[in-house]
Amino acid sequence: MEPILRMEKITKAYRSVPAVKDVDFDLQEGEIHALVGENGAGKSTLTKVMAGVVEATSGRMTYRGQDVRFATPHEALQAGIAMVFQETSLVPSMTVAQNLYLGSESFLNRLRGIYISAQQFLQSLNFPVDPTAMVETLGAAKRQMVEIARAVHHDARVIIFDEPTASLTPEEKRHFFALLRRLKTRGVSIVFISHALEEALLISDRITILRDGELVATGATTDFDRDRIIAAMVGRTLSGELYRKRDAGHLRKAGRKVLSVQDISMGQMVRNTSFSVFEGQVTGIFGLIGSGRTETLKIVSGIYKRDFLRGGAIALDDRPVRYYTPAEAVRDGIAYVTEDRKSEGVFEIMSIGENLFGGLLAAAQEQGFVIRHRVVRKLAEEWTGRLSIKTINTEARVVELSGGNQQKVVIGKGLIQKPRIVIFDEPTRGVDVASIAEIHQIINDLADQGLAVVMISSYLPEVMNLSDRILVCRQGRIVEEMSPAEATEEKIMYAAVH
Amino acid sequence: MILDPILDIFRGQAITIPPLDGAFRANTSLEEAPVFAALPEADNLCQADGRLLATSGTKIYALAEGAAPTLEETFPAAISALASAPDGTLAVALDDGSLIEGGQPVAVPTGVSCITALAYAPDGTLWLANGSDRHPASAWVADLMEKNASGSVWRRAPGGAFTRAAAGLQWPYGLLPDGGGAIVSESWRHRLLRVSGGGVEPVLKHLPGYPARLSPAAGGGAWLAIFAPRNRLIELVLQETRYRYDMMAEIPREFWIAPALSSRQSFLEPLQCGGIRTMGVHKAWAPSRSYGLVVRLGPDLVPLASLHSRANGRRHGTTSVIEADGRLLIASKGGNCVLAPEAP
Repeated sequence: MEPILRMEKITKAYRSVPAVKDVDFDLQEGEIHALVGENGAGKSTLTKVMAGVVEATSGRMTYRGQDVRFATPHEALQAGIAMVFQETSLVPSMTVAQNLYLGSESFLNRLRGIYISAQQFLQSLNFPVDPTAMVETLGAAKRQMVEIARAVHHDARVIIFDEPTASLTPEEKRHFFALLRRLKTRGVSIVFISHALEEALLISDRITILRDGELVATGATTDFDRDRIIAAMVGRTLSGELYRKRDAGHLRKAGRKVLSVQDISMGQMVRNTSFSVFEGQVTGIFGLIGSGRTETLKIVSGIYKRDFLRGGAIALDDRPVRYYTPAEAVRDGIAYVTEDRKSEGVFEIMSIGENLFGGLLAAAQEQGFVIRHRVVRKLAEEWTGRLSIKTINTEARVVELSGGNQQKVVIGKGLIQKPRIVIFDEPTRGVDVASIAEIHQIINDLADQGLAVVMISSYLPEVMNLSDRILVCRQGRIVEEMSPAEATEEKIMYAAVH
Repeated sequence: MILDPILDIFRGQAITIPPLDGAFRANTSLEEAPVFAALPEADNLCQADGRLLATSGTKIYALAEGAAPTLEETFPAAISALASAPDGTLAVALDDGSLIEGGQPVAVPTGVSCITALAYAPDGTLWLANGSDRHPASAWVADLMEKNASGSVWRRAPGGAFTRAAAGLQWPYGLLPDGGGAIVSESWRHRLLRVSGGGVEPVLKHLPGYPARLSPAAGGGAWLAIFAPRNRLIELVLQETRYRYDMMAEIPREFWIAPALSSRQSFLEPLQCGGIRTMGVHKAWAPSRSYGLVVRLGPDLVPLASLHSRANGRRHGTTSVIEADGRLLIASKGGNCVLAPEAP
């Protein structure tokens, strides 16, 4: 059967450095095609060429038997190719319905009509999103849903999903996979980029693996297993090494109690949460999206404020603290590495060094009115090496880096402040397998150095592998503490759900 | 912020419950511990002349490993405290406020009618905790709900008379003679105090439950039994005066929203349904009214480790703990047994 989309010898180079090189790719009608590869392997670039976000430097693309070359995403969308981006591209100051209809508005629009049809459409997809809600008020998972709904709404024949499940809960993932299957039965072809290899194996019909911008393997999903994919992705076997269960003998002992959070409350999101954090340990916090984990730690970091009345107490080294700005927390040695690196973590169009310098400024470790470029350059060189940030050169802007390397810049920005407590919020979200191992190593090293580390994660194997103690969050409060040696996925999930 | 001290006047002081982590990290040690003796409402443990004694209602039993408890003595009222002097003399306090020492009634000072704990110092000094001057020891929950602070601690030097060492306490419930003074557990304020000639000084504050009796630990330090947990609902009720008095006036005491020595006895109890049990599984982390908790305190009275019977357990209402012949024994009044767990 003739594929709906075929790419031949596609090369895309940035500043003469090829991101993808002579890649052949084809997509059949009504198939789910998983695209997997390491951080910087060229998956996003290849799909951006498909969707008209960037133009290929060389190569040929045919769509429905016709040679095509999309100059803009709009052209691709008109032709029936839509892309759901890893970092959502919604307009935060517009409502969900307005975002859904953006680009396909009539000359005269009746807002009520748009809301009603958006409501019906979202319900048909089983997405519990209020069409009248402003996008900026939505969490990451719901934004992702709106993004997916927008692609489906444009009646695309090819939909490209870049890390669609990174921010979804297991329940939402099931809905999402059911949606993919429905789209497939309607003849829609799907390109699915994911770092969660189990998902690729579960949902896809075919898998294509890229490494360093080149095609390594392609074939039916039945021909692959997890180990074979990983071996093809990184050239070595990482399985079992990355997510193995901790045994009681290797758990770090609790040091001094540095942070004590007692009954803090913030509206309905955080309700009487209490926990302590100890030096020299990784405290893992697991909870479903909306369980208040992020909000709790953002209160600790001074980003959000707890309730004015009966808001509880936070003590740092037995000293009560109440932060009104994040800068106060930073100066007290609390670094928060955000889950939403695009809007909260980095200045995208600034260089690696400038971003790191921003971390120094926040900690008030850099004085004066003038930015010293020598310091910025030195920081970039030092931290690029320390955190193995893969970049063309140290002057590169963060937007030019891949997801995993952007995450390392966010981590570097926190660590440069010489913190005593480091809070990682979803540290490996949207990050490839090799970078996950590197970020895990950074987290372990920090705990070994005696820092108090808090890690929030929705990915159970990550929590179980990295944590020295696991706290489970449900409906705005910490409900249970477990030792990784005794914890099982079922036990943690039961506590998180009930 | 510079304005925080002023704002705090309007905010009020946060009432917080410390989390069960660090030395208080939850486990199932009490739940899994072997039963040393099954004894209804097992309460105060004590070692006298090499015998191991335990109180149960109006009776004192002698306990021995592998044998059924043997009845030693019966009293006309429930026993509220028991202690043994260095010479083997037994002091027994009853719920009617009387004190019997060596089989003879002893006159107690006016106002002492609720003896919750007794302890002899090595020099023979008798320490006495009077929980309240409003209620007998068995009505402890009423004293808590009324938020009384009428407890006192008394000492009687050998051959001397009782003198008051501290007053205005909120239910003193445990005594541990320490040098010339004593360590006292003050239940309603969730803390331990050092009572000495120099006055009263808190030594351990902000416990996660209601502390009960204390006993010395072999390697230095102490054991502390905590008989009930704190939870947000009870803290709220304790702040709502009118609600509390209405509850006390209209609802039977066993169904009050208050700490308990055991729970899950009746469907009329507060705190039920999804908060406690979901899909047939009783949640260990549920905010229960009863709990079992014993804490090992270091020589400086810093908590080192703990043994738990969690919300889904049965060995609740741990009121007394002693180390006897190298073995740790714990009385679970709510669980109707004496446990012999491994020391943590």
